Amino acid sequence: MTKKTFEAISYVALIIIMLVVLLPLFWLFVSAFKSDIDVMQWPPKFFPTEWVSTQFKYVWGVLPIPTMLKNTVCFAGAVTVISLFFDSLAAYAFSRMEFKGRKIIFGIILLTMMIPFQIVMIPIYLEEYKMGILNTFLGLVLPRAASAYGIFMLTSFFSGIPKSLDEAARIDGMSEIQIYLKIILPLSKPALITLGIFHLMNNWNDLLYPMMLTSTQEKRTLSAGLATLVGSNAIKYGPTLAATVIAIAPLLIVFLFGQRFFMEGIATSGMKE
Amino acid sequence: MKRNQKLAYLFIAPSSLIFIIFVFVPLFEAFFISLTNMDIYMNGYQYIGLKNYIRMLSDSRVWNATKNTIVYTGIEVPLQIGLSLLILFFMLSNNKFHKFLRTVFYIPYVCSMTAISIMWAMILNKNSGMIAFMLSKVGIEIPNLLGTQGYAMGTVIAVSVWKTFGYTLTLLSAAALGVSQSLYEAAEIDGASWFQKFIYVTIPGIKETIAFCIVTTLIGALQVFDQIYVLTQGGPLYSTETLVGFIYDRGFKTAPFDVGYATAVAVYLFFLIAIITFILRKYSTRREEEK
Repeated sequence: MTKKTFEAISYVALIIIMLVVLLPLFWLFVSAFKSDIDVMQWPPKFFPTEWVSTQFKYVWGVLPIPTMLKNTVCFAGAVTVISLFFDSLAAYAFSRMEFKGRKIIFGIILLTMMIPFQIVMIPIYLEEYKMGILNTFLGLVLPRAASAYGIFMLTSFFSGIPKSLDEAARIDGMSEIQIYLKIILPLSKPALITLGIFHLMNNWNDLLYPMMLTSTQEKRTLSAGLATLVGSNAIKYGPTLAATVIAIAPLLIVFLFGQRFFMEGIATSGMKE
Repeated sequence: MKRNQKLAYLFIAPSSLIFIIFVFVPLFEAFFISLTNMDIYMNGYQYIGLKNYIRMLSDSRVWNATKNTIVYTGIEVPLQIGLSLLILFFMLSNNKFHKFLRTVFYIPYVCSMTAISIMWAMILNKNSGMIAFMLSKVGIEIPNLLGTQGYAMGTVIAVSVWKTFGYTLTLLSAAALGVSQSLYEAAEIDGASWFQKFIYVTIPGIKETIAFCIVTTLIGALQVFDQIYVLTQGGPLYSTETLVGFIYDRGFKTAPFDVGYATAVAVYLFFLIAIITFILRKYSTRREEEK
């Protein structure tokens, strides 16, 4: 096979795969602007016969979608910020400070990555029930407030920052907290953004975890709320389309602007929580 | 130094506390709960020894869920890795179009599995979906894919691969970019074809990443839940019910919410994952040593 034919074949194959990936998503986005009759008609049309925003208005006004969107933003946002803070604090200690049991504790934290969520799921539920934080924002955020993967990733990143920098700062009389805040964190911006996006994406999209820990629609995230709405047939075809678009559009916009950080995050690690 | 030590413990305290409360304590509790007949209200439960585990052995739904989980994993993982390798083969020259495509293929991975599953359920709908319509034009009538035994699992697997292959592809192409150009040039001098270069240069150069992808995809596949919950709810007739789906159903969805039994199944899943991962790691390191 000559180079030319190979290139031609690969172009055709890649364009077909590209269409298989893009067309369904494109269909979803344009269909959210269809009217109720439009979405159910046979033969189905790809584009709306008339572009309307009724589905969005209905979803926004009648269904608890705005609350769920707010919950999702708060939950994913809070987990991301708090976990970044706790992870980086621990990572600073593991990479920069000497203390008894450092290696063992670090090893134990790494081991927790091996524990599948399903085995601790029911005990966490019962624990939160006893603590009285079930179906609350606090109960949703707390178990995710620190991440073993985050500590692992930041520890290796921090270890790559030359020690001479903080030695110099120490001679200048900087405290450990100042070194952490003023030297290590600013130098780790790319790693922090990458990890932050990893946390944001995982928590935004998660289903089982928020679904288990919440019991009312007012507390649910979009993924969990949408899944239960669709599962109980409480939502019609048209509004489902609009709600689905609302669920994925924010992250997609973040992705289109910061795709480097999304893809680097997995290229360096590839772990899932 | 002493003060420094105290400060270090203070630094690791918040995350350690979280891990103790929400990982270690629950892990030990899980083993305990699995030995009781506790329900979700935790009233008057008793220690019943290994009864939950013995009950599992004769529970056809657990066997069925195990089978479905293994079938899903056994097909989804090779498909996802295989498809990603095939696409990588077409994208080796890494030109602008290929870079653009890598972003495109990553888009489904960014979307939530819930949303993607809802979308596909609509597209595949027999009565109003685009796929049924397009196929009807060429004279093919599709069955109700998600509601027919024998089709449902395949459809779930296809949706899963569609959503996540971009993740594998990104990892593999990052690794493939690291393969030394001189190796390709040497192969070219030896007269290797495109395909030979891929098989004898690219694949050996990225085999560690391939192994990593297999292990992580496999662990994820054994825990599959989201797409099945939205697409089929385990049906029709439990033909797509997996172990995690069963645990969720017994613990949270269906009365009498016997969390003791559900946790026993979770412990079983935990060991299943651990054993499969262990064997796979052992196997891949042994092959490494043989070389």
